[in-house]
Amino acid sequence: MNEQQTMLSEMADGLFAELGAGASLAECWPQIEEMALSSLLIDEDAGGFGGTWDDARIVFRLAGYHALGLPVVEAIVAAHIASPLGFEGRGTMAASADGTLDSDGFTGTITGVCAGDGADYVVAPFEGGAIVVAGDGAEHSARKTVSGEGRGIWMLTGGRAERAATDVFALGAFARTAQIAGALDAALAQAVAYANDRKQFGRPLAKFQAMQQNLATFACEAAAANCAAIGAAQALDRGDGRFEIAVAKLRANQAVGTGTAIAHQAHGAIGFTEEYPLHPLTRRLWSWRSEFGGDSFWAGAIGGKVLAAGADVFWPDLTARTD
Amino acid sequence: MQTFHAKPVPWPDTAGELRARVRALVSEHFAQQGDAADPAKRANSWAHPDPAFSRKLGEAGLIGMVWPKEYGGHERSSLERYVVLEELLALGAPVGAHWIADRQTGGMILRYGSEEAKRQWVPGMARGELFACIGLSEPGAGSDLASVRTTARRKGDRWVIDGQKVWTTNAHFAHLMIALVRSEEGSERNAGLSQFVISMDAPGVTVKPIIDLTGGHDFNEVWFDNVELPETALAGTEGQGWAQATAELSLERSGPERYLSSTALLIELIRAVGPDASDEVKALVGRLTAEMWTLRQMSASVAARLAEGDDPALEATMVKDLGNTYEQAMPGLVQAAVELDLAGGDPLARVLGYLLQVSPSFSLRGGTREILKGIIARGLGLR
Repeated sequence: MNEQQTMLSEMADGLFAELGAGASLAECWPQIEEMALSSLLIDEDAGGFGGTWDDARIVFRLAGYHALGLPVVEAIVAAHIASPLGFEGRGTMAASADGTLDSDGFTGTITGVCAGDGADYVVAPFEGGAIVVAGDGAEHSARKTVSGEGRGIWMLTGGRAERAATDVFALGAFARTAQIAGALDAALAQAVAYANDRKQFGRPLAKFQAMQQNLATFACEAAAANCAAIGAAQALDRGDGRFEIAVAKLRANQAVGTGTAIAHQAHGAIGFTEEYPLHPLTRRLWSWRSEFGGDSFWAGAIGGKVLAAGADVFWPDLTARTD
Repeated sequence: MQTFHAKPVPWPDTAGELRARVRALVSEHFAQQGDAADPAKRANSWAHPDPAFSRKLGEAGLIGMVWPKEYGGHERSSLERYVVLEELLALGAPVGAHWIADRQTGGMILRYGSEEAKRQWVPGMARGELFACIGLSEPGAGSDLASVRTTARRKGDRWVIDGQKVWTTNAHFAHLMIALVRSEEGSERNAGLSQFVISMDAPGVTVKPIIDLTGGHDFNEVWFDNVELPETALAGTEGQGWAQATAELSLERSGPERYLSSTALLIELIRAVGPDASDEVKALVGRLTAEMWTLRQMSASVAARLAEGDDPALEATMVKDLGNTYEQAMPGLVQAAVELDLAGGDPLARVLGYLLQVSPSFSLRGGTREILKGIIARGLGLR
């Protein structure tokens, strides 16, 4: 991390730890605005922070680490796309948009709007790029994903909307990859602390080889997700991150399966209770695995591209992306 | 908690040029050998010795790349060396003869060896003419390496070695061995051990083959019967052998050879199933590609930290565990996904048949999975 990233990391770490999973949008969003976090990826000459994708990865990872209950990640990505188009306020992201864009604006349905209540606009994948739709006049239908996070539906009949070329689906996948990396590290830390603390048969669980081997496996999965997120951020900062985001999200998704299973196994029954702070992490991990491309989506997409390119360019193509 | 401290990898500007040189060299060698069509020979290629190829690499300046020019090296950066290694392995070049010398023995002698030992061994290693083996395991010391019983005792100004090593890869053609032996009589566990550079043609050294389950010969038993060595054969500090040997592990565990051993199988799978493969096979190719890309990130990130003088021992262990798991699982996953006649001669069946048989060794060599997970657990603060 460079000096700026260390400062950013310390600021976000402190703030997100304080706000935590239970932060309420109405009460706590002003604290996010005070730090101008939403402008992380807006150019400096447009009044933003002018951050890199690796800066964003650090913030997204910490949001995941603290199971932050506020849609900061979504606001950062949305502002990156919509701010140059003149949209202001709190933006968010959605999973998909189905409808038509014409002189009357957007008419159709936007599904999986993250924390859509009170959002000023939403950015959703649309015809290979993105569509930005203002929230005024949208009819809301509330839904929640397994983590309890809002993933509602907006229905619009006309209304302000703009098209953007940015592949927001890929950026959503990148954001979830970094959040997964953070949440896995946090769940691992909890499992390790619990294993050292909890005694059975007269000694800490950490002394049992079966526990050690499981947690070592978990650590490797968390490490893989983190390295995947770093690689994707590096590629985005170089220019074209589409391949790297695909492989990184797929790898992070797989780490969710192994990691959450071991986290709960290590905690036994206590990890299954409402009051214990493991589930804000694991329930988010289960949600994020399916968002912006589940395993089968990305595996099929990557496999299809690799097979279409052919065996002889497999390794040369892989290395050419970093040379 | 962040267990894997990753650094963005500063890939060298010369990477493209280095890859082009390696690709030309390897394709020329395969063409001369006439067996380029057999992917079974390109899998696990760092276990395939070919002294003629090693000499060609040496001539091209691609062995001992980071060593001082004074000792025949080329003073290139360690990431340039990393590029060459991953390229050789991905192409399936037969690098087995010089692999150990280039990876660790040359560097170890340069760091700990006497001036005589450096002059005697390192330039020949860099030329791809002198090969090394590592004497660690013994009949009573496998994963529990601190149980080593081979002894070194002083006799005037000489050392005398007695004992036995086993599972010694390449001892049958190596010119020298770095051996971990007990140099202090009555010492126990990891105290009182020292490293020695033993010339394999010294009187009293006997090598006998151990044939593996494929009929191949990599392993050997090595006996030492009153083997007399000059004082300069001691490498490093007497009694510090354990610390010296374990310090090499980060170099040994995180390299690209820990995840690329089954690459020839993935490439043949892509060739065999083609763009019209079933969704199931497409998804498998996607998952294998994602894992390979991730492991490359991890392995190169450790290389970048080693280049800066860090010792990321925990990260290196994680790379080996994940990498071995990947390269070992691939044969089974491919076998489950496509119908094949393993008695037939088609390239995919040949490479799969070979890897099904040798891949169990991937999580044994260089530290078993169980030992690695124990090290990782300790790194997490468990135990």
